[in-house]
Amino acid sequence: MAATDDRLEPVVSMRAISKSFGHVQALRNVDLDLYRGEVVALVGDNGAGKSTLVKVLAGVHAPDAGTITFRGRIVSIPSPAASRELGIATVFQDLALCDNLDVVANLFLGHELGRGSLDEETMEQRSWELLRRLSARIPSVRMPVATLSGGQRQTVAIARSLIGDPTVVILDEPTAALGVAQTAEVLNLIELLRDQGHCVVLISHNMADVQAVADRVIVLRLGRVNGRFRAPELSYEDIIASITGVLNLEEGTPEDDPRERLPDGPARPLRSPGGSTPAGDAEGGAR
Amino acid sequence: MAAHRRTPGSQTSLREANRGRIVDAVKRYGGLSQIELAGLTGLSPATVSNIVKELTGAGVLNTAPGTRSGRRAQHVTLAHALGLVAGVHFSTRHLRISISDAAYTVVSQTHMPLAKDHRADNELDRVMLLLADMLESAGAGMLDLLAVGIALPAPVDRRTGRIARRGILRGWDGVEVAEVLQQRLKRPVFVDTDANAAALGELRLGAARGKDDVVFVDVGDRIGAGLVLGGHVYSGHAGTAGELGHTVIREDGPLCECGNRGCVQAIAGGSALIQRLQTGNRGIKLQDVIVRAMTGEADAIRAIADAGTAIGVATANLCNLLDPERIVVGGELGRSGELLLGPMRREVERAVLAGTRFAPEIVQSQLGAEAAALGAVAMAVDRVSIQPEDPTHPGGAAE
Repeated sequence: MAATDDRLEPVVSMRAISKSFGHVQALRNVDLDLYRGEVVALVGDNGAGKSTLVKVLAGVHAPDAGTITFRGRIVSIPSPAASRELGIATVFQDLALCDNLDVVANLFLGHELGRGSLDEETMEQRSWELLRRLSARIPSVRMPVATLSGGQRQTVAIARSLIGDPTVVILDEPTAALGVAQTAEVLNLIELLRDQGHCVVLISHNMADVQAVADRVIVLRLGRVNGRFRAPELSYEDIIASITGVLNLEEGTPEDDPRERLPDGPARPLRSPGGSTPAGDAEGGAR
Repeated sequence: MAAHRRTPGSQTSLREANRGRIVDAVKRYGGLSQIELAGLTGLSPATVSNIVKELTGAGVLNTAPGTRSGRRAQHVTLAHALGLVAGVHFSTRHLRISISDAAYTVVSQTHMPLAKDHRADNELDRVMLLLADMLESAGAGMLDLLAVGIALPAPVDRRTGRIARRGILRGWDGVEVAEVLQQRLKRPVFVDTDANAAALGELRLGAARGKDDVVFVDVGDRIGAGLVLGGHVYSGHAGTAGELGHTVIREDGPLCECGNRGCVQAIAGGSALIQRLQTGNRGIKLQDVIVRAMTGEADAIRAIADAGTAIGVATANLCNLLDPERIVVGGELGRSGELLLGPMRREVERAVLAGTRFAPEIVQSQLGAEAAALGAVAMAVDRVSIQPEDPTHPGGAAE
C-alpha cells in the first residue's frame, strides 16, 4: 500500500520556521505540512508573512530557525535552484515570462533540449503535450507571449513550472488581474493539477477563489499561523475573523503574548474594548 | 484527446474518428482557427482543412475569414441557425454553463469550481461575463441568445421565484434569481431546482429518453430527485417536489441541515461521506472518495456502499408511491457507478411491494456532470417557445 502511505505522509513539512528582517519578525514558529494531491491556500493580510513563507520554500530566503523535511528527510534550501531540484516549483506573481519570445522558448528557457543546435521540433511537440495535458487554450505555441491574454500567460507560466514534474507547485496570486473567463481557466487548471497528484500552494486575496479550490486554508497573521481550516468546515466568516485576528484557533501560539510583543513596540490586539484606542490607531496606521 | 479509443484499421473509421475529434475541439473551445485545431487535435493542417470543408458543406460547422497575428485564418465555429439557448447549473461547488442551439447541439461549454457559500450577486455577475465571453467565442452575440435556464441546488418556490427555504443555500436567500438576471440580460430567464433540470435533461437527451415515468436521483453534496410523471417533470404545487434527501430513514439519526434528524442526506450526503473518511490533516473532496473507491480502497468502497443502501431505502419508498419505470442515478457521487448503484438496487428490489420482477431498473446517468446544465437548456427551450413572438416579454420568468 505504498500509494496510501504516500497520501498520508506529508511531502513537505516545515516545523517552527522563523525569519526576521532586521527588527521585523516576518515569521514566528510557523508549522506547515503539505500533502500530495491537495490545494493549500495561504491567506492573510498584507505583511502577514505569506510571501516570506513561500520564499523560504522557494529558496529565496533562508529561515533563521526551524527545519524543513522533504519526503521524510531534513533538507536545507539555500537557493532557488536547490528548491527546483527538490521538486518545488514556484510561479511568482509577475510570472517572469519573456514577452518577446514565443511559448516554446519560454517553456524551455534555461533547459533547452538538443546538443549544439536546438531541437526545436521535440520542444514544440513537448510543449503541445504539456499544454494539452493542462487543457490549455493556447492558439499556437509559436506566438510571442506578449500577444497572449492574462489567463493564457498564467497558463504558460504554470506549464513552465511543470517541466521538471515537480511535487509541489506554488502559485502566488494567480488570479489577480484576470477577467472572469480567465479566472475560470486558472481555477480549473488548479483543480487539474490537484487531481494529477501535485500539491498546490495557493496565495490569494480573493476569498471566493480560495474557497473554490482549496482543500485547506492556512491563515497567517503577523507572522504566525492564526487558523487552519479544512474544506468542509470553512466559512467566509471564520476565515475573515481569523485574518483580522478576532478568532484565534491555533493553540499554543497565543495572539497576544505580552513577552513576545514587547520588543516590537506597543502593538496591542484590537480586542480589548476601549482603553487602548490610541494604541489600536497606531497599529492600524503603521500597517 | 481520444487517445484511449482504439479505432479499427479502416480508412473510413479513421476519418470518422478525426471528424469527431474536430467537432469535439470546436465544441470545447467555442471557436478556433484551423491551425489551432491542427495543434489541438494533433492532425495535420491539410487533414483539418479537408474535414472542416466537408463538415461546413454538411452544415455542421461554420467558417468565417479572420486574422490571427497578422495572417489570414479561417475561424471555425459550430453552425447555429435557430438562435442560442444557455443553460446554467450552479451546484454546491461548481458552475457549469452550456450554450446550445434550439436543437440541443451544444456550441460552447464551460465550467469552474465555486466557493462553498457562493453568493447570488457575485455569481450572477460572473455568469453574465462568462456568457458574453462564450457567445463571442462561438461567433455569436447577446442578441442571438433566446433564453437562459438556471438550475439551482435548492428547492425553488415557483410562486415567489426564490429559494423555498432559508439557510439551504444561504448566499441566495431572498433573491428572485430569474428577475435579477433578466434585468441584466434583457432575456427571459427560467429557474428550477437542479434535480428537476437534470431529470428533464435525461428525459430529452439521456438515460430516460422514451420513458414516461422516471425518477432522477441526484446524489452529491445534496440528495434530491427529479420526478418525471406521464412524460412531464412534476414539480408539485409550489415547485418544491422531489426532496428525496429529506426522507427520514432513521428516527434518531444525525442532525440534518433542515433541522430534522435522520434524513438520508445527513446519512449519505457528500459531507457525511467526507466526514466519515477524513483522516489526518489532509483535506479531501467527494471526488477523492470516488477515486479512492475506484482504486480499491476498502474504506471508501464501504462508505459509498452504505450511502447506496441508505439512498436505496428512501428510493424504495418513493418507488412504492410512484411506481416508476426507470431510476436514473446522477450527480457527483453517481459517477461511482455500480459501487453506488449495486447496493441501491438491492434495497429497492427487496422493498418494492410488487415484487422483484416489477422493480424499476436502476441505471447511471448518461449526461453525467452536464445533466443539469443541459436540462436547464431544455427547460429554457420548452418555456420560451410558448411565446415566440415576443421573447423579451417580462412575464415569462419564474412562471
